[in-house]
Amino acid sequence: MSMTSFIIRRLWQMLPTLLGVMLLIFLLFNWVGGDPAYILAGKVSDPALIASIRKQLGIDQSYLVQFWVFIKQVFTFDLGRSWSTNELVSHILLTRLGPTLTLLIPVLLLETIIAVGCAMLVAYVRGSLTDRIVMMCCTVAMSISFLVYIIVFQWLFGFKLGWFPVQGWTNSFWVNLSHYAPLPILLAILVDVAPSLRLYRSFILDELHHDYVRTARAKGLTEKNIMLKHVLRNAAIPIVTNVASGLPSALVGLFLLEFFFSIPGLGREMVVAVSNSDFPVIKAVTVYLAVFTMVVNLLVDLLYRWLDPRVAYK
Amino acid sequence: MNAPLLNVEHLQIQFVKKNHDAITAVHDISFTVAPQQIIALVGESGSGKSVTATSILRLLPRTARLSANSKIEFDGKNLLALEAEQLRAIRGKEISMVFQDPMSSLNPVFTIGQQLNESLRLHLKLSKRQASVRAIELLNEVGITNPTARVHSYAHQLSGGQQQRVMIAMAIACKPRLLIADEPTTALDVTVQKQILDLLMQLRAQHNMAIMFITHDLGLVHDIADRVVVMQQGEIREQNSKAALFAHPVHAYTRALMACRPQLDSRPMRLPVVSDFIDGQQQVNVSEVQRQRGSAPTDNIVLEAHGLQKYFTLKTGWFEQEKLTAVEDVSFRLFRGKTLGIVGESGSGKSTTALLLMRLLPASGGKVLFGSRDLLQLNDAELLSMRRRIQIVFQNPYASLNARFTIGQLLLEPLRIHHIGATTQERLQMAAAMLERVGLPKEAMQRYPHEFSGGQRQRIAIARCLMLQPEVLILDEAVSALDVSVQAQVLNLLQDLQNEFGLSYIFISHDLSVVKYISDVVLVMQQGRVVEMADSDQLYASPQTEYTRKLLNAIPGR
Amino acid sequence: MNNTNTLTTDLVRHDSAGLWRLAWRRLRQDKVAIASLCVVTIFAVMMIASYMGLIASHWNAEVAPSYAPPSLHAVTNVANTKVVGIANPQAGPPVDISDIDPLAPRYQEWKERTANIAHEQTQHATSLILGADKWGHDILSKTIKGSEVSISVGILAAFLAVVVGTLLGAVGGYFGGVLDDTLEWFYNIFTSIPYILLILAVAAVFSRGFVTIVLILGLTSWTSVYRLVRAEYMKHSERAYVRAAEALGASHTSRMFKHILPNISHVMLVQYSRYVVDAIKAEVILSFLGLGIPVDMVSWGSILAETQEEVVIGKWSQIIAAGGSMAILVTAISMLTDALRDALDPKLNE
Repeated sequence: MSMTSFIIRRLWQMLPTLLGVMLLIFLLFNWVGGDPAYILAGKVSDPALIASIRKQLGIDQSYLVQFWVFIKQVFTFDLGRSWSTNELVSHILLTRLGPTLTLLIPVLLLETIIAVGCAMLVAYVRGSLTDRIVMMCCTVAMSISFLVYIIVFQWLFGFKLGWFPVQGWTNSFWVNLSHYAPLPILLAILVDVAPSLRLYRSFILDELHHDYVRTARAKGLTEKNIMLKHVLRNAAIPIVTNVASGLPSALVGLFLLEFFFSIPGLGREMVVAVSNSDFPVIKAVTVYLAVFTMVVNLLVDLLYRWLDPRVAYK
Repeated sequence: MNAPLLNVEHLQIQFVKKNHDAITAVHDISFTVAPQQIIALVGESGSGKSVTATSILRLLPRTARLSANSKIEFDGKNLLALEAEQLRAIRGKEISMVFQDPMSSLNPVFTIGQQLNESLRLHLKLSKRQASVRAIELLNEVGITNPTARVHSYAHQLSGGQQQRVMIAMAIACKPRLLIADEPTTALDVTVQKQILDLLMQLRAQHNMAIMFITHDLGLVHDIADRVVVMQQGEIREQNSKAALFAHPVHAYTRALMACRPQLDSRPMRLPVVSDFIDGQQQVNVSEVQRQRGSAPTDNIVLEAHGLQKYFTLKTGWFEQEKLTAVEDVSFRLFRGKTLGIVGESGSGKSTTALLLMRLLPASGGKVLFGSRDLLQLNDAELLSMRRRIQIVFQNPYASLNARFTIGQLLLEPLRIHHIGATTQERLQMAAAMLERVGLPKEAMQRYPHEFSGGQRQRIAIARCLMLQPEVLILDEAVSALDVSVQAQVLNLLQDLQNEFGLSYIFISHDLSVVKYISDVVLVMQQGRVVEMADSDQLYASPQTEYTRKLLNAIPGR
Repeated sequence: MNNTNTLTTDLVRHDSAGLWRLAWRRLRQDKVAIASLCVVTIFAVMMIASYMGLIASHWNAEVAPSYAPPSLHAVTNVANTKVVGIANPQAGPPVDISDIDPLAPRYQEWKERTANIAHEQTQHATSLILGADKWGHDILSKTIKGSEVSISVGILAAFLAVVVGTLLGAVGGYFGGVLDDTLEWFYNIFTSIPYILLILAVAAVFSRGFVTIVLILGLTSWTSVYRLVRAEYMKHSERAYVRAAEALGASHTSRMFKHILPNISHVMLVQYSRYVVDAIKAEVILSFLGLGIPVDMVSWGSILAETQEEVVIGKWSQIIAAGGSMAILVTAISMLTDALRDALDPKLNE
């Protein structure tokens, strides 16, 4: 099967999943979530006010009609306004993406390079004391709560040493990147490297057990050459796939950092929306990130086929 | 006298386990390889032959330990004392290796051209262009058709035989003086095996290299080797020139290995087994009484297949489907108390046929008459009662016994399912009796499968089937995974059980000698179809089709 | 009949080593694994004791002044300061304004109450190893109680996720067909929404509570065990031992649960302990954000939520207590998981 028809078929297969996601979100917020009119009206439960809010929100209609309206909203990128700030939801999504990406891109790049590099090194000396110590450190590092890292680092670098501002954000990309982003980026890398390193090490060790490594040795290649060419090229398949498919969750995964450092990104927006029961925002973030995930998954599949000649388009 | 090319002395290899226990895989062995000689290391599993071969280029896993006085000299240099750099200059250049499984031995993400170029550029310092040209020549030399296109292929796009040819091309790329081939044809079909062996012989003549051939197959050794080293349990039992060894085997183990493999020209009542020889009193008078095999017009039919069919559908596009035929129009009769042998190479549909007969796969068409009923039309309840009468033993005894059950639980399960025996006591007694019948002590019942050897496990699998007292037993490659000495024991057991219980066997195998030995009627399959069917003696004496002749010619040691 | 008797006793005795026992033998040789197991056991015992009210039942009692420093003799010091504190009002105001003071009738009551508090302290708090928090609660008790809540959320949520994931994975992988397609649809829906987002979205809708948080964490994280179990069932249902069972006439249920399940139970066990770690971490973060356990309960997350301001003013006791005990437990579980995975590796039994 050709690549084009593979893509078309995969896009077609996304529809039922997308429908399912919308149904799940709809059920969660319009059915389980209770009557939003009461949430909006707050403690004052004036029946007239509630009735008018219900009419305004369209929730006096049947669930089927409401669901249809929701689907239309999703496809027209018009999910109304935030209940707490009255800001357009689409505007919220677009403006919050920038700060998140300012953090995310450096984090992903640096973290992957560091993790792959260290993983290659410890896999090369597998079984040695160094390997065991590094692995032990990783396990301990992974066991400490992210919250502890943030609190301690904020205190150390922000208050005690004063190297970085404790929190804040501006409109200037360069100021943000040079001034406000370094500490959160450092923290994110510090926390993410340990699990990635462990995972990539296991990918590389899996490859080292394959017979082709023995063949390469029998040919007379150096260990370095075997690691950097034969093993890394094979281990790159799961590594790249892993990085790429982690992209969607990484978009909101920095929410704790954004929250602590008051960075107006997607993750913080989500946390704020959840604590304010700001349903339109939560719904929008969830639906569009789900769509993004599906698209990324398709790209990962294509990437996988490009990296691994064994996998055919079917 | 020529100086030896390779001189192995006092080689002793241990593997250190995680708990620091050491297992000795090779005990103090010594042998030499002369230039241009073909030496065969032959032995059963656990004999240490592969470990020995891998140790020469120091390719053993890190857990391996060589004793201090071990010596491996190649061309006067002690390989064990070489620096990494010097060793690499020998690997692939002076000594190269071909492994058992060509698919996994090739790197899946590089083209075969890239992998060939790598050796050429590393050792011969060829330029990129020169290497590409040379790679095509090499592929041509090892008999790959259309080599200019094939250099751009990946390993998975080639057949097993082609993959092994590529591995050989890589091995001879730098004109080595010694080629170590570790069971290079074990994973291949018998006809492909023959082609690969012919190729190796031809290349040896062209390149004047010595070959160290590791195999478990004495027949193959007989065909190719100049000198033979027989190994068992990490020790050399006997080494001699081929002619001398086959003419006058000295060690009992060598004689046992030669005798316990079924021969095409004789069918003793009972195959000799290793213990017959090791125990000293060589009661090998068996060859005089021949077992009679063959069908007679008076035989009763117990099971009859008509036009059996199986195809799989693959979705290839939006609406298109591709039909893959696995079994096409297979018909045969199985006579009561007799054995029907089914032979064929991989992909011939022989195992699929077995699954169809057992209703473990739904058939796409045809009929299987068992008594008066069509097996393929039975409903669930009828099928359950029919399962008592027809049973199957699978190839891999390591996989076919549930590792979490004790042998007692395994043997009692069929009785429970079919409500045979009133009490657990009664069932236990039946199980104990059956275990003793297949040659295992009843104490085995409380043990788990992993505590038994392959041959013992296959006995357990057979015992489990026999608990139901079936009329028909399908043996799907049931002895193929076993060493020849163990295989002989299981074959003897099968014949005894057949006599005792009047069992009818469907014996499926790729091994033509074994099928010939045990079958009354033989059916040859190729690509899902029946090519030929005849009484076994007749089929082997005068094959009617080209394919059967080709198969028979490829049997090593003929 | 002598024969029969020996047979049954032999079968009952079972002195032969099954795969679990072999794994245990391997595990026992691993010192790190045994140390981790001890740590996990200590936490488990502590959790049970705390649950039964044997320890830390008065974590909520005000036993010391705000931010009392760690001390083994804290009680006497505290009691003294309190006595002084109580002695002052006893002296009475210099001018009697009880006629116009509307709170006058309450003084006596307050006096009694403060006396009671002082009394309570001496009874319950024998020492303050880790000091006291902002409200004068004993941090040690608080951490123990918090551990109980965090660990039980982890254990229960992971259990729920493994049960749901295993059942769905077993059904989908074993039967295939339309059933599998439907489950795959569910799976795709759940994995299209990033895990964290899904948890936050669900947490936004449900009211806070212990059961809610267990349900949220359990029902949003079944996907990876489902995926693993489904793949294992697909693989195993083609294996010869399952085929052999089918040939003998074993039913679907028997093949699924009697034959296949024990053979993949090591996968589930390893996955379960990973889930416990994940759920503990997730609970901590949710409770920190105020989306987890209710305000009248305490968990590692809610303790950590208080520490952000404390660290700035130099109060480290709580972050060390909660963060440290979590780190110790999670490290122990992770190491145990690694050791288990190695010990249970089926390849070792061949």
